[in-house]
Amino acid sequence: MTLLFDTWYVAKRELIKFFRTKVRLVVTLVQPVIWLAFMGNTMNQVTDNPFGAQLFGTSNYLAFMTPGVILMTVLFGGVFGGMSIVWDRRIGYLEKLMAAPINRGAIPFGKSLAVMVQGAIQVAAIVIIATLFGVRFQTGIGGILVIILLASLFSGILSGISLSLAASIRTIETLMAVVNLFTLPLMFASNALFPIDMMPGWLATIARLNPVTYAVGPIRELTLHGWEWGKILPGAGVIVGLTLVFMGVSQLVFQRATSE
Amino acid sequence: MENAIEVAGLVKVYKNGTKAVDGISFHVARGEIFGLLGPNGAGKSTTIKILIGLLNPTAGELRINGVDIRAYPAEIKRATGYAAQETAIDDRLTGWENISLQGRFYHLPGREIRDRATEMLKMFDLYERRKDLTATYSGGMLKRLDIACALIHRPQILFLDEPTLGLDVQTRQMIWDYIERLRTEYGMTIFVTTHYMEEADVLCDRVAIIDQGKIVALDTPDALKAGIGGDVIYVRFSGIDGNEAALRTKIGAVAHVRRVEPTADGAYRVIVEQAGEETIPQLFALCDQLGITINAVSLKKPSLDDVYLHFTGRAMRDAEESREAHARARIMRGRARRGK
Ligand SMILES: Nc1ncnc2c1ncn2[C@@H]1O[C@H](COP(=O)(O)OP(=O)(O)OP(=O)(O)O)[C@@H](O)[C@H]1O
Ligand SMILES: [Mg+2]
Repeated sequence: MTLLFDTWYVAKRELIKFFRTKVRLVVTLVQPVIWLAFMGNTMNQVTDNPFGAQLFGTSNYLAFMTPGVILMTVLFGGVFGGMSIVWDRRIGYLEKLMAAPINRGAIPFGKSLAVMVQGAIQVAAIVIIATLFGVRFQTGIGGILVIILLASLFSGILSGISLSLAASIRTIETLMAVVNLFTLPLMFASNALFPIDMMPGWLATIARLNPVTYAVGPIRELTLHGWEWGKILPGAGVIVGLTLVFMGVSQLVFQRATSE
Repeated sequence: MENAIEVAGLVKVYKNGTKAVDGISFHVARGEIFGLLGPNGAGKSTTIKILIGLLNPTAGELRINGVDIRAYPAEIKRATGYAAQETAIDDRLTGWENISLQGRFYHLPGREIRDRATEMLKMFDLYERRKDLTATYSGGMLKRLDIACALIHRPQILFLDEPTLGLDVQTRQMIWDYIERLRTEYGMTIFVTTHYMEEADVLCDRVAIIDQGKIVALDTPDALKAGIGGDVIYVRFSGIDGNEAALRTKIGAVAHVRRVEPTADGAYRVIVEQAGEETIPQLFALCDQLGITINAVSLKKPSLDDVYLHFTGRAMRDAEESREAHARARIMRGRARRGK
C-alpha cells in the first residue's frame, strides 16, 4: 500500500515539472505535427495507388505512419526516466528520498510511472492531431484507449532500460548518448515508417525481431483495420512482457546501486 | 531514560576499501546539542549517514531512542530528520512543493502537511516566497528551506551536516538561533557537524573531535579548552628596576605557572596550565609583597580552534579555505545552471 502511495508521489513530482516546462509541452505537440505534415505529405503518393495501398495496407500513408510516430515519441520519452535519477543523484535529492521512510522500490517505479503518464498524454495529443490531419481510427474510442495504453506500457520498457543504465552511468550527457545509440537503430530497423516487405533482406530480418515492430503490430492493426485479436494479442503480449521484465531489472539494479 | 543516540565501536569501510570510520563510540543525551568536528574527510558525513540509515555500518552497535537502527529502519527514519551537507532542493519546484512533497514522503496526511509546512516556512522566514520556484532563492534561503524540510515530520532528533557552510555571518547566526529554538521549544536533540569552531563553542553542549575516522577528544567545550590548558596572561609591570630575574623566578614558582617569557614590548607573558583567572590575583599579591605595580593585565584562554589544532595536529586554515572555495564554486555552478 505504501508502495503505491510512494510511487504516486515520486511520479507526481516529475509530472508537476513536466507540466511546468512549457517548452517541452510545446515540443511534444509540435513534433508529431512536423512528422505528419511534412513526412506524411511527401510520402502520400506512395500509397496513393493500388500497389502501394496493398503493400502498406491502407491508401492513406498518414494512417500507416501514425502508429510509427506514436512509438517514436514514447521510444524517445523513455530516456527521461533514467535522466531524472541521474539528476536526483547529482543534486542530492536521491539521498533525501532514501532518508525518508518510503519504500525504496517506489523510486524507480515512480520515475517510470511518470514517463508512462507523460507518454500517454503525448500519444493522446498525437491521436488528436492525426485526426485533424484526416486519419480515421477504425476501432474508435475503445481502440484509441488501447493504443494509448500499449504505447504507454512501451514507454515503460524504455524507462526501465534507461533507469537500469542510470545506475552505472552518472552523467546525463553520457546517458543520452548511450540511450540514443540504440533507440535510433530500433526506430529505423522497424516497420514503424515503412513496411517490412519494402526492406532489403538483412534489414527485414532485424526488423522482424525488433520489439518496436512487435509494438507497431497491434497499434497499426487497431488504427487501420479493427479488433482482430490474432494480430493484436501477440504484440500486446510482447509489450506487457518486456515492460514487466525491464521494470524488474530496473528495480534490481537500483537496489544494488544504492546499497553501500 | 535512555539516550537519544548510542554508538559503540562503529566502523565503516566503503566498497572501494576506504575506512571512513574506524571504531568510534559515543552517546548523545536527549535534548542535547552535540557537535561533531573534524577536518575534511575525517568521517563526519559518513557517521551521520549511518545514523540515519542511509549507509550500512560495517561493524558496531547503533541505537536511536534505544532501538537498534538495523532492526527498525523505518521507525528510526520517522524519529530522525536530516539536512545533508549539500543542499538537496529541487530547483524546478516551488518552496511549498518541495516541503509538501517531503511531507508525503514521510506519510503525513494532507492536512497536517499544510499546517506543518506553513508553520515551518514561517519559522524560517520563507512563507512569503513559498510560491516562487526555488531556482530564484539565495543560497541561504535554500539552506533554510532544506532544514525546514527536515523538520516537516516533527523529528525528535535532527541531524545537520554542516548547516552553515558557505553562508554569510548573519545567515549563520540566524541558523544557529533556529537550532537553539528547536531545542528550547521542542526539546529536540540536535546532532551537528561544523567547521566553525566559535559556533560549536557557543552552541554545543558537548563536542567530539574526529580525525581519520577516530574520535580523538569528546567533552564540553569548556572542559576541552581547560584540558589542553595554556591560558596566557599578559602583564606589564612598573618599578622593577633591575629585579627582573628575581621577579621571573618568583612568578615561575606560583602554582600552575608553566613558564614566563618577556615580550618584545617589555611586558611579560605568563603561561598557566589552566584557570588563568585564578592566577591573576596571585600575581597581584606577589607584586604587593615586592612593591611592584601592575600597569596592565589581560588573559587569553585557549579557543576551541586551539583545542582542535591540538588534537588534529593539522593546520585548520588550509582545509577551511579549500572548503569555502569548494562551496563557492558549487554555488557559482548552481547559478550558472539556473542561468543567472
Ligand atoms: N561513497 C563513498 N565511497 C568511497 N569513499 C567515500 C565515500 N564517501 C566518502 N568516502 C571517503 O570516506 C572518508 C570520509 O568521508 P566523509 O564524507 O565522511 O568526511 P567528512 O568528515 O564529512 O568530510 P568533509 O568535512 O569534507 O565533509 C573520505 O576519505 C572520503 O573520501
Ligand atoms: Mg562531510
